[in-house]
Amino acid sequence: MKAKLSVKSKRDILLVTLLFIILGGIYILFRLFAFQGEASIANVYYGTSNEPIVSIDFINYRVIANYDQDVPSSYNQVYPIIDESANTITLLGDYEIDGTRQIVVIQYNFGAKSVQIIQEQSPNNICSREGVSTGWPLICLPNRIRVEFETNGEDFTI
Amino acid sequence: MMHSAKLRKMTLLANFLAIAIVLNIIESAIPIIPVPGAKLGFANIVTLIILYVYSFKDSVIITLLRVLLVAILSGKLLGVTFYMSLSGAVFATLAMGFFKQLNYFGFVGVSTIGSVFHAIGQIAAGIFVIGSTAVIAYLPIMLFLSIPAGALTGIIAQRFYTIWRSWHNEIS
Repeated sequence: MKAKLSVKSKRDILLVTLLFIILGGIYILFRLFAFQGEASIANVYYGTSNEPIVSIDFINYRVIANYDQDVPSSYNQVYPIIDESANTITLLGDYEIDGTRQIVVIQYNFGAKSVQIIQEQSPNNICSREGVSTGWPLICLPNRIRVEFETNGEDFTI
Repeated sequence: MMHSAKLRKMTLLANFLAIAIVLNIIESAIPIIPVPGAKLGFANIVTLIILYVYSFKDSVIITLLRVLLVAILSGKLLGVTFYMSLSGAVFATLAMGFFKQLNYFGFVGVSTIGSVFHAIGQIAAGIFVIGSTAVIAYLPIMLFLSIPAGALTGIIAQRFYTIWRSWHNEIS
């Protein structure tokens, strides 16, 4: 049963093909060229704030906690926790399990100038599956925590 | 006769809402998409079908109810995923309503456009939730994945609509 395609179906096929080529091209270009510079600083943010809670300085091999996270006193703990021996930063995320907010552990590597979310609670633990990043922003929406990189030299801005 | 048509519509819409909720919950359990909190929007199948079977108004109501009920059922009302779902659903429904009215594309075209807007809506909500445009880094992959998802949604909805039409003509 080979029915003749209607005008609308032809338009549909054309539209889908065009979108596929255009958006596919944009994706490939973006993947190849965006966020490629060498990172000098990685900033860790929480919530909608644009003041980084922790800055990881890849040039001077330092981790700077800028201010304490605003955490309800019932949690009996001051965040961020910076563990210099394990190279980890622990923050309190927004994702709750049985009404308790869960921690997010971020690991940094001075040598590789990279950052990775190694432990967190979110649907399917999707944030820690983002893997190691040396330039791409790591964004954990369910926990409202993000890591953005500052690059020196050739900078690519969107 | 009028009465039974109304009753049938109500029953169908209730069933559609249930299907949409299940689709939505199944979808959030499958991590096909590498963006935390984002979905491909397979529940849009129902939005699209109602748009063609009944009206824009009905599809808006069912879609909003679906988003709200899924959030309540998952116990995360007013959470990050709720805002992203809501924004994506509103964008997709408005876009599909507009392009259906335009009557230029068929099911697959309307559905694909809806899917693209669904991705844009979710990213837009993500920007607000996190206060940073860094989320835009995920837009290209989301847009790219939304095309096959949208096309597939459209094909399924069209298939349903064809069957529904013949069934509907038989009973009325």
